[in-house]
Amino acid sequence: MALVRSTQPALGQIQEGGARPSRSVLFMQLGSTDPNIRRVAAMELGGDVEAVAELLAQLADEEDHAVRQAIVSSLAAIGGASVVEGVLGYLGSDDAGLRNDVIDLLKDQADAIAPHMPRLLADPDPDVRIFAVNILESLKHPKVVDWLIAVIETDRHINVCATAVDLIGEVGDARARVPLARLEERFADEPFITFAVASALDKIAA
Amino acid sequence: MKRVLIIDDAATVRMYHRKILEDCGFAVDEAVNGLEALEKAISTPYDLFIVDINMPKMDGYRFMAELRSRSEFQQVPAIMVSTESETKDSDRAFAAGANFYLIKPARPVELTTSVRLMLGEPA
Repeated sequence: MALVRSTQPALGQIQEGGARPSRSVLFMQLGSTDPNIRRVAAMELGGDVEAVAELLAQLADEEDHAVRQAIVSSLAAIGGASVVEGVLGYLGSDDAGLRNDVIDLLKDQADAIAPHMPRLLADPDPDVRIFAVNILESLKHPKVVDWLIAVIETDRHINVCATAVDLIGEVGDARARVPLARLEERFADEPFITFAVASALDKIAA
Repeated sequence: MKRVLIIDDAATVRMYHRKILEDCGFAVDEAVNGLEALEKAISTPYDLFIVDINMPKMDGYRFMAELRSRSEFQQVPAIMVSTESETKDSDRAFAAGANFYLIKPARPVELTTSVRLMLGEPA
């Protein structure tokens, strides 16, 4: 029986500057015990639409911060509905760094995140609603102002409303004037809301 | 005059805290994330840091870890502020090196009292 020398790197071997290892090798390397190998494999899979499921599976188990960052960065390079649906759950994560990476990813996925936005803005967890408003910060979507106005008109949590007011001031849309006044009435005993509404109205008028 | 660095990605929160503290005679600087705050802390001596938790680029926990890893900042007091009101959140802030934990939005008297307490000044 002839022995054929393998041209593929073994699990745990990093190819620096050479040809990209095959997808199956990279999937194996994602499971390496060495975080540097997992990180490089995750980076190599950036933009590979066939790698979404494996990257999401690894993200669920990954404990190394740098590897998580690499995975989220690669998922961001792929984008689309399956990536968005796969990372939405991390908005409720206790890991602030992971949450922020996911928020940054979602800000660039306007079409894919838009169908989920009404549900996110109605999430029972006020922190998730705050992060949903954070996503709106740089989301290029025609409904952003409508969503923000709905938040300040209906949300009962002061910090969700405060986050939306901050953003309304940046957007500077005059349609928010009356809803802002109503918000101030709803939270009449909260000095921060009084301050934030005045600041937003100043920015809208400018 | 005691100098305070406010670290928060929300412009309105920074302005609100700045106004309250300046009205009480403190000098105030601002940073929009932990990374910018570290750069400012290295170049300017601060008496107190007021640190938000959820920020892009470098969140409050990572900022605190970086801050406390440097000998020159180990004794500088830090107040962490967050919308998160569960006990585990304040526990994590203290574990990260915070000296005090405030839940947003802080009322003016809460903020000034805690700042003076951290600076060893009469309330």
